[in-house]
Amino acid sequence: MRRIETDILVVGGGPAGLSAATSAAGAGARVDLVDAGAAPGGQYWMQDPVAGATTTQSAEGSAAIAAARAAGVAIHSGAEVWAAFPGGEIMAHDAEGPVVFQARSIVVASGAQDRVYPFPGWTLPGVMTPGAGQRLAKLGKTAPGKRIALAGNGPFLYAVAATLASIDATPKLLLESGKARAPMLGLLARHPARIAEAVSLLAAARAVPNWRRGHVVTEALGEDRVEAIRIAPVDDAGTVDTARSERIDGIDALLVGWGFRPMIELTALLRCRHAYDRALGGWYCVASPATGLTSVEGVYAAGEVTGIAGSRPARLSGALAGLSAAAGLGFASPGNEERRKRLVRALASARSFGHELGRLAPPPAGIADLANDDTIVCRCENVTRGEIAAALAEGTRAVAGAKMWTRAGMGRCQGRVCGSAVAEIAASLGGTEIAAAGFNPPRIPLRPVPLPAVLEATRAAGTGETH
Amino acid sequence: MSEVTIFVDGEPVPAEAGRPLGALMHRLGPAMRRTEEGAPRGLFCGMGVCFDCLVTIDGVADRRACMTPIRDGMRVETGLAGGTPS
Repeated sequence: MRRIETDILVVGGGPAGLSAATSAAGAGARVDLVDAGAAPGGQYWMQDPVAGATTTQSAEGSAAIAAARAAGVAIHSGAEVWAAFPGGEIMAHDAEGPVVFQARSIVVASGAQDRVYPFPGWTLPGVMTPGAGQRLAKLGKTAPGKRIALAGNGPFLYAVAATLASIDATPKLLLESGKARAPMLGLLARHPARIAEAVSLLAAARAVPNWRRGHVVTEALGEDRVEAIRIAPVDDAGTVDTARSERIDGIDALLVGWGFRPMIELTALLRCRHAYDRALGGWYCVASPATGLTSVEGVYAAGEVTGIAGSRPARLSGALAGLSAAAGLGFASPGNEERRKRLVRALASARSFGHELGRLAPPPAGIADLANDDTIVCRCENVTRGEIAAALAEGTRAVAGAKMWTRAGMGRCQGRVCGSAVAEIAASLGGTEIAAAGFNPPRIPLRPVPLPAVLEATRAAGTGETH
Repeated sequence: MSEVTIFVDGEPVPAEAGRPLGALMHRLGPAMRRTEEGAPRGLFCGMGVCFDCLVTIDGVADRRACMTPIRDGMRVETGLAGGTPS
């Protein structure tokens, strides 16, 4: 079995992970980077597997990948981390089987996934996340459909509209729950460097023939795939006016999402401290703004896992965490401290923009209530909202209770998809804060791995070869 | 990278090696499997998180189509046409 001893293991090959790896290797540490994707780049710097870098954004990514390699970073692609233990032992699995890393420090840059909430019909084929639509276009050069509706909230929807336009698949319909324009203009006025990007994203949204603000999708309709949707107005308080709903026919793909959720499985498994802020995507890993260090010694976190803020803070927090992790192991060259201070200042400004943007485009307050009693909430175990509500009425509490009573969150995805919704349903029915509902604790294996691989990896770990 | 042939439920399908199988499967029709209750499911998250796009690849069940790059000669079973639901 492959066993790799390294100074610093970076988990995640997006902007945060690549920046962390490059800065740590530049300081003189031995750095290995493990990433689930077929090629590094993550979601933001996604590389076309056939054509290579075809856009400015992916070219920026391929430059970052080349810089990491030039700095001596060993990149392990197509490898999913499925376990982590105190003492720096991380188990991953790729096409060739298990690979175990023994690292002195870890930088977790696990990124984010689309945040979703259930509504009637959301399990129909053809209904997917905006991120899935973007990956179909970027990695598969495949249009999600011929008549696409794009819905939810937040600037990422505009980015998806732009990607779809690049493969001649401009959506027919763009539905945003938010309406207010003035706060966005105010934010841009305070961050003028971001205006050009905003103008280009706005142009992508304007290219959509039917752009409706202040609306949500309340239902997807169809037999074996989505064929139509129902939409309704939503006010600033998040109340959906279903009495004024209308049906839109001829939709063959619906991409709906509410920004992103930090992927905290690994930091939670490592017992790092987490905090809740709905505007930052929900639960996120708390990391020092001065170093990127988490509450656990030797474990650093960077990028979206530390709270949704965008690619710029991801790069800066990655560089900061890499530099700090290297310095913590004694790898520091002259000028490092000056560089760290510059990164801390730049990160504070970039993060404040990202966080304010998140606060401008929250999911509507009652979004989890779009699901009715028959709607499946947990897609893995097919648990309905009615079953969760019944369990809560019988006295169970929070996400953990709902899981034990109904199996919601107990399936293959471990509640990564339904967790936000189950928490909001539990909070709404129990009259508590959403944070009080907690989250699904991750369990080993974080991702399914063949049993022989688990045995091989854990047996090798048990030998104490390197301890 | 090149044009290759894969087999979906026994039928030959031209494909581009290296691209995600999930994208090709979505083009063939968004449903990729049925739940135990018989409900169709297809690609949802597209990034390996949700496990909705499970298919059988070269005899191995429950593989995520979205995370699997296309290889020449790959044999994919969907379980849509009377196969075992996953």
